[in-house]
Amino acid sequence: MLDLLDAELLGIITLTLRMTLMSTTISAILGIPLGLWLDRADFTGKRLVVAINRTLMASPPVVVGLVVYLMLMRNGPFGFMGLLFTFEAMVLAQVLLITPIICGIVYTASARNSERIHLFAQTMGANRWQTKILLIRELSNELYFAIVTGFGRAMSEVGAIMIVGGNIRHHTRTMTTSISLLRNRGEIDQAIFLGILLMLIAFAVQLLISLIRRKERRTDENF
Amino acid sequence: MKISKLKKTLGAFSLEIEHLSLTPGKIYGIIGPNGSGKTTLMKLMAGLLPPDSGSIDWPGLTPRDITMVFKKPYLIHDTVLRNLTYPLTLRGLPPDPATVDHYLTLADLQKYRNAYAPGLSSGEQQKLSLIRAMIFSPKLTFIDETFSNLDMESAARFERLILDRQQKDPATYVICAHQLSHIHRLCDEVLFLSNGRIEAQGTTEDILLHPEHPLLQQYLQFVQMQ
Repeated sequence: MLDLLDAELLGIITLTLRMTLMSTTISAILGIPLGLWLDRADFTGKRLVVAINRTLMASPPVVVGLVVYLMLMRNGPFGFMGLLFTFEAMVLAQVLLITPIICGIVYTASARNSERIHLFAQTMGANRWQTKILLIRELSNELYFAIVTGFGRAMSEVGAIMIVGGNIRHHTRTMTTSISLLRNRGEIDQAIFLGILLMLIAFAVQLLISLIRRKERRTDENF
Repeated sequence: MKISKLKKTLGAFSLEIEHLSLTPGKIYGIIGPNGSGKTTLMKLMAGLLPPDSGSIDWPGLTPRDITMVFKKPYLIHDTVLRNLTYPLTLRGLPPDPATVDHYLTLADLQKYRNAYAPGLSSGEQQKLSLIRAMIFSPKLTFIDETFSNLDMESAARFERLILDRQQKDPATYVICAHQLSHIHRLCDEVLFLSNGRIEAQGTTEDILLHPEHPLLQQYLQFVQMQ
């Protein structure tokens, strides 16, 4: 098994983490403001937009992968960019998958709490920016949950990145696509090993985030 | 401070105030049965709810001079101390440790200063929201049934605090309470609200001791029976 613990494996792990972190970061940057805006905005068709977002939250990864593939294929509208079977294409597919999830969770949390927070901020004399900062601070647990959910989805995703990344050795092979390949080859032991490793990495990342958050809280309490 | 031709409809309920004027530095009480529009009127006056029509003028006051304490207060997900000093932080004012200690002691919250505020009991949360509204000395304070959750000793302490402050640096208070004893001890004038209309208005003594309006008489009789 454990010739797997070589440079190739390290490359696969690094690529997986880079892709997951990058797609989660981009999705958080897009999804959090979008979710907060969607809650406060008042426009015709808002309920339709919310319903579409909820549908996208449950969209099958292979369908998203297929759409991105069709967009990026040589004859597709963005084929000229030459992004198919690249790291960027995998990140793009994941961003399309994760952003609605983060946006949806943030929207729901904001819809439940923002009215009271805004009212309270007003009674305290907070200006517009102070109110926004307060809202984000007060929803920090929900935002954290949204990001962690997005991260988990990105880390475990295989269908979309398989289609747009192509699972090319030393290039776009990630841990999940490797597991899929190993299973096809009948190398079950190695697939299980990679699976356990993937779980451990996901656990370690969650633990790290939790520790950072706990440290932040302790700092607050020492005020 | 003048309110004229104020109208607000919320579902089947509608509030209509033809004219109301408040004198700065006085304590006003609002009484009336449930659903009479007390909270709605307070929110409108505090600028937290836009009226459908009419005007509310608070000459010389900015939104930062006005605050409201709710029946169910909102506490930020932080310590008691951070909650108390939050309005000062917003104004860039450094909290004076002696003042902070004074308020925490007054509210019996000194031992919880570093505790998580939303974890306090409902009475403690009310007390925290009251001292938080007082620490930045707003010129106009609306208190919506906050006294009802306090034990008698705490309520008396807060009443004394408000009356003491009125002597030193008078501000305007509008207090809504079902317990008429609070209204009687604190307020200079009282408004009686019923079905979204001000049915009676006058000095506390006139309204509570010599009520003329039949609806007010009926309400007082019912409250006193309880």
